[in-house]
Amino acid sequence: MLIIGLVVAAVLGLVYVRFFIERQTPVRYAASSVAAVAGASVTPIAMGRCGFAPETTGVDHLLAYGLMAGGATLAVVALRTFFDRRDGVSNDSEAFAGEIRSGGYRMGWWVPWVLLAPTLAILVVFLYTPAIQTFTLSARLTRLGAPRSVDVCFGNFTELLVAEPWRLVAYPLLAIGLVYGARFWRVRTSIGSWSRRGADVASIVAAFSVFIALYAMFSPGGGGNVDFRSVYVTTVIISLGIVVVGMSLGLAVAYLAYRSLRGGSVYRTLLIWPYAISPAVAGVLFFMIFDPTAGIFTHGMESWFGIDVPNYRESTFLAQSAIILASSWKILGYNILFYLAGFQSVSLDQVEAAVIDGASPWQRFLKVVWPGLSPITFFLLVTNLTYAFFEIYATIDFMTRGAPAGDTSVAIYEIIRVGVNNGDLGRGAAQSVLLFIAVIGVTLWQFRTSGRRVTYGGA
Amino acid sequence: MRHRLLILLTILAMVAAACGDDSGTETTEAGDQPATTAADTPDATEPDTTEGGGDVIDIDFWVAFSDEARLGFSEEKAAAFNAKHPEYNVEVTSFASYNDAFDAAVLAVDSGEPPEIIHFFEAATRQALDAVDGSGNPIFKSVTEAIAGRTEILGEPVVLDDVVDAARNYYTVDGSFYSMPWNTSTTVMFNNMDILNAAGITEPPATWGEVEAACEAIAALPDGPSACITWPNHSWFVEQSLGQQGELLGNNDNGRSDRATEVYLTSDGMLNYIEWWKGLNDSGYYSYTGLQRDWDGTSNAYLAGEVAMLVYSSSDTTFFDTNASFTNQASFMPYNEDVDYVGNLIGGATLWMLDGMDAAQEDGALAFLNFFSNPDNAAEWHQITGYIPITKTAEAQLVTEGWYEESPNSKVASDQLAAADNTPASLGALLGNFVGIRDIITGAIEDILVNDVDVTERLTQANEEANRSLSEYEQLFGG
Repeated sequence: MLIIGLVVAAVLGLVYVRFFIERQTPVRYAASSVAAVAGASVTPIAMGRCGFAPETTGVDHLLAYGLMAGGATLAVVALRTFFDRRDGVSNDSEAFAGEIRSGGYRMGWWVPWVLLAPTLAILVVFLYTPAIQTFTLSARLTRLGAPRSVDVCFGNFTELLVAEPWRLVAYPLLAIGLVYGARFWRVRTSIGSWSRRGADVASIVAAFSVFIALYAMFSPGGGGNVDFRSVYVTTVIISLGIVVVGMSLGLAVAYLAYRSLRGGSVYRTLLIWPYAISPAVAGVLFFMIFDPTAGIFTHGMESWFGIDVPNYRESTFLAQSAIILASSWKILGYNILFYLAGFQSVSLDQVEAAVIDGASPWQRFLKVVWPGLSPITFFLLVTNLTYAFFEIYATIDFMTRGAPAGDTSVAIYEIIRVGVNNGDLGRGAAQSVLLFIAVIGVTLWQFRTSGRRVTYGGA
Repeated sequence: MRHRLLILLTILAMVAAACGDDSGTETTEAGDQPATTAADTPDATEPDTTEGGGDVIDIDFWVAFSDEARLGFSEEKAAAFNAKHPEYNVEVTSFASYNDAFDAAVLAVDSGEPPEIIHFFEAATRQALDAVDGSGNPIFKSVTEAIAGRTEILGEPVVLDDVVDAARNYYTVDGSFYSMPWNTSTTVMFNNMDILNAAGITEPPATWGEVEAACEAIAALPDGPSACITWPNHSWFVEQSLGQQGELLGNNDNGRSDRATEVYLTSDGMLNYIEWWKGLNDSGYYSYTGLQRDWDGTSNAYLAGEVAMLVYSSSDTTFFDTNASFTNQASFMPYNEDVDYVGNLIGGATLWMLDGMDAAQEDGALAFLNFFSNPDNAAEWHQITGYIPITKTAEAQLVTEGWYEESPNSKVASDQLAAADNTPASLGALLGNFVGIRDIITGAIEDILVNDVDVTERLTQANEEANRSLSEYEQLFGG
């Protein structure tokens, strides 16, 4: 099995030279092929070839191949950079490096490294080392204070994924195919035509298919596996909820607050306050509002209107809504802050021009202000999503502790529950690796898609 | 104007970012950042350098309480000990939970600055016994072994032999009494007698059937509470019920004759209890707060008169006696009348002593442990909380003082424990990864109560998870 993988890597190394490298010489073919094989063997060697051990399943092999492919890709791309440099093919970063060289650092190549050393030291100690440890932990069964640990290879990951390897290949390919198909169709249509509208619908369907493909790739639980689908669904619902509610409310409030009002600056300052509150306190506050026994809201509804408010923690919809409400309230101040700043960067000339052209306030907002805000919106999308992924543990812990039956247990809550509270370090690490991959994926996607539609002004 | 707003925004962003960082540490590392409490810190440095000429030996005491009453008691007794033994300095550090304190202690052992005494709870006894440092040596030392038959250490009489049977038997593993019991309680039921009397019930219900009958009567009251009974969805209550019904939670005599390698979450006793619980919930008698391990919510519901009965830890007896605005009466935890009553078990925590101290320090730690639970202190601890008096002498002293006539509710817990037969079932289980298994149990119960899933099916699933969790633990820690 391992040999097949290495042979495939060698062949792909050759193919890469044929299609992606300017000058093709026998030496380069050989070098690329060797690099691909070397890159592909790094992870199997580091992991003791455990992915192909006798008792492993198809999913283990697939994950092992995936890591080999990653290693091979990195190696040949690095080799290509080396060839490009030799060929004098310059790119932007090369030009940038040249600029730096021509400037200040004439004292020797080591000067910038010395200047960078403190930062690098901090990064290595507090970021890279823990990150690497997370990866190594994720391949083990281990607990704090345990006299030994067990190598479980991909076991912590396979139990989060569906059992059939073909699903793990087919679903993502299908989703990617749909996304690119829709994009391909879209660029071939003209604005306003029916086929453009069809393509727009197809784009939305394709976007949904990504979510569905991911859903279908995670384990539905049972048979000793974790029900990771429900964690995924909960994470998607709550994260999207926070982003949509938090950002649209933030924009609306900022739009109102931006208008000239008496004492406007006071308003604007006060509106930002919730952000200075920690997620834990936000959880406590909303707990004190909605709690069926001690809640202010519940009590008021009951004594003034005679309405018996149901316990939000016993209904999936209410529990998730409460978490979204509390979390988006907490980030609201931040969103308002940046949208207020954003409104200042919207060109007043364009707004005036739109007024003269007879555009209604709504049209002015939609056609002039909203596009002008796109850099801020893009930035907030990334920060809000990061917040929703990583920072709402305390809010959930105070409001629901994952209730009802895990329906508010988002990925980060699950990671801390499994890894810290239950002390299962390996599984916790494996789940945080997945969250790490998710964040990288989301960020890449955001940069690719939103990047194109973001206007930073100018030509 | 534009500039001013920008500056304002920048400052606010910085403030906000700073606060955001705070919250990060709060959520993930609350326990790893011990908050050294004020009481002893001033003494900690002064005697070290100036007083008496001799060296003062520091003894770190990590307490998993953060509330005023219980942490305050620890600090007060530590200060009293330090005053009595100026050559020692016991320093109390507070943690938010048992797990936080324990994880921090395991890490501290490896970094070379471990606490000499750590407060750890009953469910993790197996975990504490199994814990090793980086080179594979056990972290804790048996107090029995360390006392080595002495009756007095540094002038403090040894009270270990005087500890009440329920606690002694629970914490005796492989014939050795490992840790010094401190806060020990059991489950009792608190009854709002005003409501029960109004419903024509004069005595607190003792059995499941009587609870149901009482609830029926209360539900018929015109101005009765919205529900009848509640208790936290905590695995401890399940374990108590298994003890009452004489069922084991783990094999090898609940992990007492040998390491437990199997858990039983689908036993008859388990099914009986969960079915009964679900029945009460379905008929609207049981009020679920919607949170697992919700001590505060259930206690608030009882104090607010929203339920007539509360099954709870005896540790809060004094709190309920002081704060209830109605007639509060404690009674035994209701049991299943269809099977013979076997016995309730204890809950709470003990004080574990670090292994590898030098003789002088170890003696200081032992002297403190025995001082901490001497009859006066043990009686006071019982009176301010409701945890049982941990030694027989303390109990006798309370009887002589007439405390139980003054506060009859405080006697219920000790009486209930005395009624147990000390068989493995009523002693309770010693399991590896018990904390994780408890979470699996409460998770299943929440699913059963909220989502109306089938009890047997859901418990079978939980049983698989729990057994996997235990076998993984045994893989790592087992012999």
